[in-house]
Amino acid sequence: MVHALSEIRRTLKPGGRLIDLRPVESNWQVEVSSSAGVQAAGWLTDVPAAVEDDEAAFRAMREVESRGWFSKKEEREFSFFYYWDTPSEMKQFMDEEWEDFEKLEEDVFENARSLWAVANADARVRVRVKMLITRWE
Amino acid sequence: MTVVKDPEGFEKKILHQFANFSGAKVLEVGCGEGRLTFKYAASAGQVIAFDTDHDALRIARADLPHALQGRVHFAEASARHIPFPAESFDVAVLAWSL
Repeated sequence: MVHALSEIRRTLKPGGRLIDLRPVESNWQVEVSSSAGVQAAGWLTDVPAAVEDDEAAFRAMREVESRGWFSKKEEREFSFFYYWDTPSEMKQFMDEEWEDFEKLEEDVFENARSLWAVANADARVRVRVKMLITRWE
Repeated sequence: MTVVKDPEGFEKKILHQFANFSGAKVLEVGCGEGRLTFKYAASAGQVIAFDTDHDALRIARADLPHALQGRVHFAEASARHIPFPAESFDVAVLAWSL
């Protein structure tokens, strides 16, 4: 990671900016959303290897900052959502796409299914993804 | 299976608050299928977006809007050896890749 950041620094003009945008593991919340409101169904389980990846990323940025390659100018946490029409679609997506960093436990899936089944017809399931964005110069 | 990512546009809004892409020459590291690229490229002067995933790049090129052709270039490369000269870019974006 540090070598890659060295390469990025090399290709930036003097005064150039580095924007680091990435999700952070934080037991993202599963919700059922409809015109009637939002209900929490539970939380995803962080996969340990992904948590270690997060820690490695933070370590790498601390190292490049200590070397004086980049200086942190602004940082913010925010959230956005992934939506699915049904809980089953959400589960399929997670099994296929997120298996390396987030796990949908059976009890959370069942809770989402129960909430979704009795919600308004326009109900969808969604996951609140925690993000971090940092500007370095 | 249909997934909709960030229909409210929170990610795009924050990204533009953090970086002024206007006319900038941008290097995007780990562009994947170009999901993030397409959220800022219209503002940029030129975008070079790269990834090691050949299949993802094929999708990114196929999905590149006509209006962005000539402005956005997708390349297969690794961040360990970025194949561009020193001091080439105004902005670098690490797109879910650190």
